[in-house]
Amino acid sequence: MSTATLSASTELRRLDWPFLIAAVLGTAVLVTLVALDGHPASAALVILGFALGVAFLKAEFSFTAAWRRFLANGEAGGLLAALLLIAVAALVIVPVAALVPGFGGAIAPIGPSLVIGAFVFGIGMQLANGCGSGTLYTAGGGSGRMLIALALFIAGSVIGSLHLPAFLALGGVDPILASAYLGPWGGLAVTLASIAAVALAVALIARARGANFKPRPLIVIGAIAIGGLSIGVFLAGHHPWSVTFGFTVWGAKLAALAGFDFSGAAFWQWPGPKRALAESILSDTSSLTDLGMILGAMAAAAATKPFARTVWPQARSLIAAAIGGLLMGWGARIGFGCNIGAFVGGVASGSLHGWIWFVAALGGCMIGIRLRPLFGLSRE
Amino acid sequence: MRVVYALVLIAGLGAVIADHLTSPSSARAVSPEDFAGACAPCGAPCPSAQKK
Repeated sequence: MSTATLSASTELRRLDWPFLIAAVLGTAVLVTLVALDGHPASAALVILGFALGVAFLKAEFSFTAAWRRFLANGEAGGLLAALLLIAVAALVIVPVAALVPGFGGAIAPIGPSLVIGAFVFGIGMQLANGCGSGTLYTAGGGSGRMLIALALFIAGSVIGSLHLPAFLALGGVDPILASAYLGPWGGLAVTLASIAAVALAVALIARARGANFKPRPLIVIGAIAIGGLSIGVFLAGHHPWSVTFGFTVWGAKLAALAGFDFSGAAFWQWPGPKRALAESILSDTSSLTDLGMILGAMAAAAATKPFARTVWPQARSLIAAAIGGLLMGWGARIGFGCNIGAFVGGVASGSLHGWIWFVAALGGCMIGIRLRPLFGLSRE
Repeated sequence: MRVVYALVLIAGLGAVIADHLTSPSSARAVSPEDFAGACAPCGAPCPSAQKK
């Protein structure tokens, strides 16, 4: 037997066939269900979600770790890669949202709700050790700890949906979109300039702290790939990629199944949430990409090594995941999304709320990092 | 942990399929932002609309 044949045989043995087949089969079932209903764009969203799961897992792309490294010791490579991702997505999202009927950017009101929600989300993401996308791909990738974070993320987002109307009543101003003031190309120029200015500031801070600010090549490739896939999600779904609304719908459907009545909840009387609760989960764009992403990460993990063979972490770590998940879910609903829907989607749409969300979530991260040792987690 | 994952996967996919088969899915998949008056990815109304 040749060396090449032996190597191929070893590679095949390393594959975790049951979970790899289950992930691919599950994706095929979802794609078939929506395709049978005559919705090719929905099928595309599942497949794009699958690709996002693979890309995140293979590139080990983590907003949470990147922000923590920047805050803890000034390392800026991961944060700069995230800004590159957003710049790639903005190249298409800003002009298309402004020029093509039926498309729209990620917008949100600016007020106390946004700031409070993002701040709480920031605390939660450091305790859980993952944000919206991070929770999806690590839970899909075989981390039992993040499975717990995901369950509590879902619960927290349903609780947040019940509180959001009261937080909106605190006041605020309508969304501020660059393209609304400067047109599609002026809006794009300002958006890219704002990303470049923040990247420069981040690099200067890193240099002043004597830390590295060059992203690893794999992270750069991952950022470009994820940025490209975000564009695909935008073109298929007509709005920027978002994650957490799907969690809210899943949780509300489960709660309704258990007898909870949402008819008196203001959030669930707004047209979008009302329709999402009444219709199939596969009629909601964020659910389609979320499900695809979980299965994609599972397939990528199972194709690399035995799936979910690790032992459960300490109870303290699991408690941190649960608290973090709950805070992220609540914060995402009150603050209009997570790193993806609010930060990536908002900034890539040229919406001011994206930057405000970023600053408030960074503030929350600083608190979350200080709390991590209480649960046996490193500050770095 | 593998058993937990297998159970969650089966239950999750089963729930999604059951929900899809028992719920209407009348048009293309949408986001709450597709609806008139939506001011956020979750479909929240704009502050200016709330004041009216």
